[in-house]
Amino acid sequence: MNKYTLSSQFYIVLYNNECIESHLPERVCYHDGVISFYNLSPIEVQIVYLLDKHQSMDVSIEIEKNIEVSIIESRILNVDSKLNRKLLIKADAIVHLFGENDSLDGEITEEVHLLDNAQCQYGYAELSDGNFNGNYRYYLDGEGADAKVRMAILSKMHEDKHYEVLIQHNKPHTFGQMDNYGVVKDEGKLVIDGIGTITKGQSGSASHQNNRIMVFDEKCKASANPFLFIDEYDVKASHAAGVGKMDEEHLYYLQSRGLTKKQAMQLITYGYLRPVIEVIDNDMLKERFEKALAKVGE
Amino acid sequence: MSTLVIKDLHVEVGDKEILKGVDLIINGGEVHALMGPNGNGKSTLLSTIMGHPKYKVTQGTITLDGKDLLAMDVDERARAGLFLGMQYPQEIPGITNSDFLRAAMNSRRDTPISLFKFIRTLDKNIAELNMDENLAHRYLNEGFSGGEKKRNEILQMKLLEPSIALLDEIDSGLDIDALHVVSDAINSMRSDDFGCIMVSHYERMFELVQPTHVHVLVSGRIVENGGYELVEKIDNEGYEWIKEKGIEIDEEDFNHGIILGACGKKEQLNNE
Repeated sequence: MNKYTLSSQFYIVLYNNECIESHLPERVCYHDGVISFYNLSPIEVQIVYLLDKHQSMDVSIEIEKNIEVSIIESRILNVDSKLNRKLLIKADAIVHLFGENDSLDGEITEEVHLLDNAQCQYGYAELSDGNFNGNYRYYLDGEGADAKVRMAILSKMHEDKHYEVLIQHNKPHTFGQMDNYGVVKDEGKLVIDGIGTITKGQSGSASHQNNRIMVFDEKCKASANPFLFIDEYDVKASHAAGVGKMDEEHLYYLQSRGLTKKQAMQLITYGYLRPVIEVIDNDMLKERFEKALAKVGE
Repeated sequence: MSTLVIKDLHVEVGDKEILKGVDLIINGGEVHALMGPNGNGKSTLLSTIMGHPKYKVTQGTITLDGKDLLAMDVDERARAGLFLGMQYPQEIPGITNSDFLRAAMNSRRDTPISLFKFIRTLDKNIAELNMDENLAHRYLNEGFSGGEKKRNEILQMKLLEPSIALLDEIDSGLDIDALHVVSDAINSMRSDDFGCIMVSHYERMFELVQPTHVHVLVSGRIVENGGYELVEKIDNEGYEWIKEKGIEIDEEDFNHGIILGACGKKEQLNNE
C-alpha cells in the first residue's frame, strides 16, 4: 500500500472499496461508497483514495444544497487500477477542490453534476509518476451552474499521459471554463483533449478553454486538442491551444542575473503552471498546490 | 577594483560580421560612454560581453580580472560580477519580481539572504527608485510600462551590486523625472568597485551621469576616443564629421532606416 499524508483535521481514507480510517465532522457521513455532506458551516475534508494493483473502486460524493466545502482529494492508484468518482453538487452549493495525484499507471474517471447555481472550482496537480489516464467530465445540469477547472500536468521520463476534460452545458446561463497546462520532459508523452459542449436551447451560456503544453526536450511528444460543440446561437465560446518550447530569451534573461540554467528553467516552469493555483480561493489549498508545483522543475 | 579587457573582438550574427576588431579596457571607478549611429554594433558589443547565444565570437578575447569570460556560461559571467541592463527586458509571466530578485541575489551568496533582510533591502530600493509599492508581487516586467521596465533593471543592478555594469539605452522610455531617479541611482553606485559602459544617444543622460571616457563605435570599430567634449560634439553635429576624418567606414552603416521612437529621433533631426 502506498503512503499517504493527512493534512486536514477531517479526513477519510478509502482503500480498495473499504473505509480504513476516518475522522469526519458532524453532518458529514460515509456509507457504502457514498460520502454525504450536510454540514452547515464551511469545512475542509481530505479524501484519500488508495488502490492496489488491478483493483477498482466506485465512490460517490453528494453535496447538499447551500453548503460550502473545501475538499482535498489525494489519489494514489497502483498499476492497472481504476477509480470511478462521482460528485453531485446540489443547488447553490459551493465546492473548492484540490486534487493531487501520486499514482502509478492508473486510470480515473470523474463525473461531476452541478445543479442550479452550484459552483465548483477544481485545481488538479497531475504530477504523478508513471502512465496515467484521466477522464474528467463536468455536467452543468442546473441553470446558473458554474464550473472552473484548471490542471497542471507533468509528463516526464517515459511516461504516457492522456487527459480528457469535458464541460457539458445542459441548461441555459451556465458557465464553464477550463485551463489545462502541461509540461513534457525527457521522452514523456502528453495528450490533452479539452471538450466544451453546449447543447441545444442553452442560451446565455459561456464555454471557454485554454490548453497549453511546454516541451523541454527533442524526444517529447505532446498534443493539445481543443473541441467545441455548440448547438445554440446565443452563447459565448472560445478556445485556445498551443504546444511550444521554453522561450530562449526568458532563459537568457534569468541566467544573465546569475541563475543557473536549471534554476532558471525551474522558475520559468513554476511560473508557467502558476495560473493553476489561482483558481483556488482557499489559502491552505493554495499553499499545498504551490508546494506540489515546486517539484515540477526538479 | 575590477578590470574588463576586450581585445581585438570580432563578432558575427548569422553570417554577417558586426564587430570588426574592438579594443576596450574598463576599470572600476570608470564610466564609459559608448556612442554611435544605430546598427553599428553597440548593443552587439554589450550582449556579446554578457554571452547572448546569438552572437558568435570569431576572434579576440574578453577577460574580467584575467578570467576568460568567453569560456563561461551566461550565469557564470553574472556571478563573476557582470550585469547587463537590457534595452528590451523580457516579460516573464508567473514569476513574481520578489521570487526572481531573491533567487538572483541568492545565486551569488554562500548562504541565502534572510527573508527579513531581503524585504528590507527591496523596500528601501523600491522607495529610492520611486517605484510601484506592489512591484514585488507583480510578475516580472509583465504589463510594465517602458519606464518601469528600465527602473526594474536599475533595481536589479542595485541589488546585485555588479563590479562591471553594461547599460544598454537605459534612458530610453524614461520621462524626465524618471531619468533623474535612474541617473541618481547609477551615480550612487559609482566607486572604485564599480565600472560601467553606458550606451545612449542622449547628451542629457551623460550630463547627469558624467562619463570618464567616451567612445564612438562605427562599422564595428571604435573610431574615436575622448572625454565629455565628444558627447557635446555629437550632440551638436551628429556623426557626419567622422566620415570627414578619413576613417574608412561602411557607407551602408550610415544609411540605416530611421527607427522611430527613442533613438531614431536624433538621427532624424540630424538628417534634416
